Amino acid sequence: MTNTTEPSDRLDVAEEQSVTLEFTRFCELSAVPEGSKRARKINGTMVLVVHTKGKLYAVQNLCSHQDKFLHTGRVRNCRITCPLHGAQFDLATGKATCLPATKPIPTYEVRVVDDWVEVAV
Amino acid sequence: MNIRVKFEKGEARCPDAPSTQEIIARDKVSAPDWVCSESYEFLGDEDISIDRYIDPAFAKKELQTLWKKTWQFACREEHIPEVGDYYVYDLEHYSFIITRVAENDIRAYYNACLHRGTKLRASGTEGCASEFRCPFHGWSWNIDGTSKNVVCDWDFPHVDKKSMCLPQAKVETLGGFVFVNMDENAPTLAEYIGADAMAHINKWKLEDRYIVAHVTKVIPANWKLTMEAFMEAYHVLETHPQVAPSNGDANSQYDTYGEHVNRFISTLGVVSPHLKGRISEQDVLDQFTVGDSSVLQGADRKLQEGETARQRMADMMRGMFEQATNTDLSAVSDSELLDCFSYTVFPNTFLFPGISLPMVYRFRPVKGDHRKCIYEVFFLRPVPKDGERPEPACEVRLEEHQSFTEAEGMDPGFGAILDQDTENLLLEQEGLEASAKPGLTLGNYQEIRIRHFEKTVEKYVYGK
Repeated sequence: MTNTTEPSDRLDVAEEQSVTLEFTRFCELSAVPEGSKRARKINGTMVLVVHTKGKLYAVQNLCSHQDKFLHTGRVRNCRITCPLHGAQFDLATGKATCLPATKPIPTYEVRVVDDWVEVAV
Repeated sequence: MNIRVKFEKGEARCPDAPSTQEIIARDKVSAPDWVCSESYEFLGDEDISIDRYIDPAFAKKELQTLWKKTWQFACREEHIPEVGDYYVYDLEHYSFIITRVAENDIRAYYNACLHRGTKLRASGTEGCASEFRCPFHGWSWNIDGTSKNVVCDWDFPHVDKKSMCLPQAKVETLGGFVFVNMDENAPTLAEYIGADAMAHINKWKLEDRYIVAHVTKVIPANWKLTMEAFMEAYHVLETHPQVAPSNGDANSQYDTYGEHVNRFISTLGVVSPHLKGRISEQDVLDQFTVGDSSVLQGADRKLQEGETARQRMADMMRGMFEQATNTDLSAVSDSELLDCFSYTVFPNTFLFPGISLPMVYRFRPVKGDHRKCIYEVFFLRPVPKDGERPEPACEVRLEEHQSFTEAEGMDPGFGAILDQDTENLLLEQEGLEASAKPGLTLGNYQEIRIRHFEKTVEKYVYGK
């Protein structure tokens, strides 16, 4: 920014800062190799990190259908299936892709810093 | 002068054109026995009654007879590679959970809770389960179908848990396909398909392929009418004019095997008899298209003096396909590489064992509507040489108004062909309903697969 910045631009900066995500260390990257997943609680939220097809995803570890854990569910084509009743969610968007779930699950920003997986919850 | 030679019924073939077998016999890499054989039989020439396509009462009879007694392709083994994996297969109101109970034990459970009937898994889904638990009251079953838990069993003293196993349909596998049959007294799948056709299928090793694309669309026509649109190459000239220059359409070969299997072989890379003398070998090569044309990008398409389009295409396909897909095609004949082999396994599956057109089609009636059907196209590719099997592609569901060219994984040229095939179907369905003529009239040779198919329909529905 320079001193010549218009007031409107300054407002944009302020808004950007207010939505800056706070990342929390989740686990070491080596703890979630390709094809695996890991669950833990962060700031009171059940989080599931999935490493599939070369990418990390972070979602809520609870099915939106009957609040059961998702972490033992099968992951295929970037979707996770609830092992209990078969609800399925898109890991990238959290969208429920089949019954019995109709509501999405929350997804979280995920990044790798210094070989640590960090999640913004 | 147009001289019409007198033939016995069913003996006439496309005049002044090489037969399919003559075309294949000229290839450099020769074809196996299952390609180099013929099995045509004249099955009559009377009209086919149209009630089977337009009468809802006929569709109801089919549900109680045909669909309950036939072997149906439910899923691929690759959909359920691990114990506990499942795939829900529906046929009209029938629904089955196809699940792997052990490495070589696949079962099909009727998809309904034995308490108050809730589906244990939603239709159109797949996944992995450690138990099948009803989402309503929580009654549950082990993967092997035995009862696991009756919630508040003190209230069900009249329920014998040991006998509360999930009812099953019969299951068999063939070529990586899982087939189910609701009839406890059904013949084995091998008996149903018959020795001749089984010998063909066993040669193809379709278990060594994987699903690279899976596209589904509802078609506004009866399921049989829709299937029959794919049973002959007679329609190519009118429906697919862009394909006709490089397709032996009028001289395709048609065969029937027992009651449940029929096929055609339609050669590619040759001039259509309809266009003989009007186009060159270079034109043929220029217009040649395959179902998986992505493997041919950047190919040299200029023919040398005396070279045939068909041979160039076979050589090109072999090299470029091997490279693009990391596979070994050294033992595959030119004909298998190029030609369209279309097999119907009654009632609702098409297998295309060729390499350039490597599809599987499945057709099912839409629940409660005899005027609509679900059409699925799977593309199969050989598993890479290193043996690592890719995950089967996710199903892409198109809306009725969408083009097949919009589907992810669909070759645009092939998608356009499917659009042309299916665009005719609403007109045919409505035309039959409007018609003053009570039957379809079929060609004796080119439409034998339709007659053969409908004779088997009649056998199941009328017990003929």
